[in-house]
Amino acid sequence: MTTSLTLDHLKAMFAAGLTAVTEAKEELSSLDAATGDGDHGTAICQAMTAICNTADKGTDLKQSLNDMGFAAMMESCGSTSTLIGALLLGMSDGVDGNELSPAAVATMFNSGLANLRQQTKADIGDKTMMDALIPAITAIDTHQGSDLSTMFNTAAKAAADGRDATKDMVAKFGRARNLGDRVIGHTDAGATSIALIFQAFANSLD
Amino acid sequence: MHFIMKKLINDPANLTAELLEGYTLAYPNKVKLVNEKIVVRANEKAEDKVAVISMGGSGHEPAVSGFVGDGMLDASVVGDIFAAPGAPKVFEALQMFKRDAGILLVVLNHAGDVMSANMAMQLAERAGIKVKMLLTHEDISAGIDTPVEDKRGLAGCVPLYKVAGAAADEGKSLDEVYEIAERFNQQMATLAVAVTNCTHPQTGQAISNLADDEMEIGMGQHGEAGGGISKILTADETAERMVLPLIEATGASSGDTVQLLINGVGGSTLMEMNIVYRKAHQILTEKGITLVPGIVDELLTVQEMGGFQMILCKLDPDHVTYLEAPANAPYWTTQ
Repeated sequence: MTTSLTLDHLKAMFAAGLTAVTEAKEELSSLDAATGDGDHGTAICQAMTAICNTADKGTDLKQSLNDMGFAAMMESCGSTSTLIGALLLGMSDGVDGNELSPAAVATMFNSGLANLRQQTKADIGDKTMMDALIPAITAIDTHQGSDLSTMFNTAAKAAADGRDATKDMVAKFGRARNLGDRVIGHTDAGATSIALIFQAFANSLD
Repeated sequence: MHFIMKKLINDPANLTAELLEGYTLAYPNKVKLVNEKIVVRANEKAEDKVAVISMGGSGHEPAVSGFVGDGMLDASVVGDIFAAPGAPKVFEALQMFKRDAGILLVVLNHAGDVMSANMAMQLAERAGIKVKMLLTHEDISAGIDTPVEDKRGLAGCVPLYKVAGAAADEGKSLDEVYEIAERFNQQMATLAVAVTNCTHPQTGQAISNLADDEMEIGMGQHGEAGGGISKILTADETAERMVLPLIEATGASSGDTVQLLINGVGGSTLMEMNIVYRKAHQILTEKGITLVPGIVDELLTVQEMGGFQMILCKLDPDHVTYLEAPANAPYWTTQ
């Protein structure tokens, strides 16, 4: 049972996340092609690769999260890397020390979400990655008394439910917005990758 | 519908690179190109002075890069045709101009530009770069009382570059340059009119959809629908329809001093624009408003779109001084 989160855990979690999105790269791009410009698979793999390469060099948790966020943002000008980068920079702001208790992990993710919300107005129901991310972070927040494994398994489940819910939504952001009702029936690519990443986080801690 | 684009270009994919190359080859005494998409002054200014940087898509020449030069911008960060430069490029420019005096980053309110700029600001803050961002939003086509986030930044950025650049070159602090430029920003207003469509140079597709006998007031920069379509009016009627709301928006009244600019967007002639200037000048003068020398020229274009933007700036005495101060950019020279 994992009782505190370290930089090594974080490296393993993101490495598992990269593997998961890499395996699903084609699927993610074809999901995106239905409603957007069809490059989400490429974009998320690119962002996660940059994050993992930077994480590997890190020795301090706070600094590493900052550098990982920087690396994601510098990767390209697409919204995927920008938003993931903003999440990580915010997470960096919310941590102190190199061993995080479940409560400190919750603080870290809440801080990441707060920073992300400064970059996008997208919320639950808008058919974006936020539909998976917000429920995942809420689950983390409400499981501060649990061990990390339970916390991340609950988060992964919440992210998956959030992903599934995007299928029936119309989009309020990005190119998909212009398609109106035609996007109903398509699961959002961004929410799908977030769900994959949180499942990978959970698996790597089990 | 099939459009045949009649433009003298080469490979559409290389438009931005080729235009920047040509531009900097033509004015090597004033500007140079660094890191592919960043245009800087040929003669760098002293580190102890605030740097003024702006950004935006290409396809709007001479904006923005045409106003890099002594007394105006220190750098412009260029995006692809009609597209914002990405945050990494903007951050790169901020890193390049990192200095104790600080940087003023002028951004026009367009979604992509604002997103890139916000992101670059976040990275800059973490990298210890001193920078303040100023957002222009003087388009009143959506209504004078429209919330700032829904008002676009149009060609009013250009006289603002002049004011901010002069204040910075004079040695004002970052807070002072920001205050001077933001005051100018709050006191200017712009309306656009379109009379003919244009084609996107990369896709060959028409932007906007005006009939042969129509015009539209409130078109933004790219022919965004804004309502206000009418049968084409005379120059005098058009000028009157535009200058009156601009006077209201700036609050200019008898005894005030203003600058009036007519920015051609690409397809209208100087003849037409001078006739428009004449009528707007008459109306302002009749109201007891004093005009400093104006500008009737192409500052921020949208390819071969016909029409213009009318920009009215209510000026404080220091703004008059900064507008008159020397400048030596390829497309703006003041002796």
